[in-house]
Amino acid sequence: MKPTVPQSQALVDLCAAVLPVWARQLASSRHQSELAVTEMLSAFAEIGPHLDKASRQSGQITAALAQGADGITQLAVACDQELRPILAGLEAPAAAAVERALAMVHASVDALEQIAKPFAHETQMVSEQVERMYRGFQYQDRISQMMTLLHEDIERLQAAMNTPDADTNVAVWLARLEAQYVMTEQRHQHNPAAGHAAAGDDETTFF
Amino acid sequence: MAQTILVIDDSASLRQVVAMALQGAGYEVLQAGDGQAALALLDGRKIGMAICDVNMPRMNGIEFVKAAKALSAYRFLPILMLTTESQESKKEEGKAAGAKAWMVKPFSPASLLNAVSKLCLP
Repeated sequence: MKPTVPQSQALVDLCAAVLPVWARQLASSRHQSELAVTEMLSAFAEIGPHLDKASRQSGQITAALAQGADGITQLAVACDQELRPILAGLEAPAAAAVERALAMVHASVDALEQIAKPFAHETQMVSEQVERMYRGFQYQDRISQMMTLLHEDIERLQAAMNTPDADTNVAVWLARLEAQYVMTEQRHQHNPAAGHAAAGDDETTFF
Repeated sequence: MAQTILVIDDSASLRQVVAMALQGAGYEVLQAGDGQAALALLDGRKIGMAICDVNMPRMNGIEFVKAAKALSAYRFLPILMLTTESQESKKEEGKAAGAKAWMVKPFSPASLLNAVSKLCLP
């Protein structure tokens, strides 16, 4: 069956029906993703102080085991240095008891080191993952900005369709959209053929 | 006493990420959703520095920098622009308005804290 209205009018009717739905879906998705990230951040904010504490404790344990004057390892060495010279003057049972005590001290220090090393490694791993999460969460901001821009452009198109003398010049329309971009990847997606300098994420310029 | 930093961004999640990084390092954080809300928050408060987005509704970041610098109490307030905008012309605009530094998002907490330690007033 042939359409009873001109194709252009049919397209206008189609767009008038579809564009508001697209705009609402975009706005809703943007809102939902913002809520989800905010929720995840709240949970992360609860975990953060515990991770910091674990990291600090790991540092303290490492410091306590260090070879410095106050370190436990140095204490074991000092015990050794103090007690070894007097072993020769002790009777055999007493010397044996001191030897056993020294061996126990060294064994305890070794055991502590074996516990502390993987703990320090794990907290370092956690700290690296936390850094990645910080960066990951920020991509919500970029997505949200692009969705807002598309939402606004859809609404503008919708308004133009309902305005008889609206400026529908394609080049003007696209230039206006392009002028609103703030990120290098937006400019690149708009016009992939044009060269765009890579964005220097995390780059700080001091004035 | 901990230094207070004013964080201005229209994205609540981004504000939260910045606040978490700063609070983890012992700073107090005030938050505002745009330049106008940030100006209202200043209200004579002692602020060590401001971290400000560029593209925001009502009053954008560049306008905020100009408005804050026009207030005698905040003439020397260091302001770091934290934005997805990386165009040189925009950076120049920020510099001309009186911003002290420009950082492109996404940021790493270490870089942010490094910039804050350089700029924040005691």
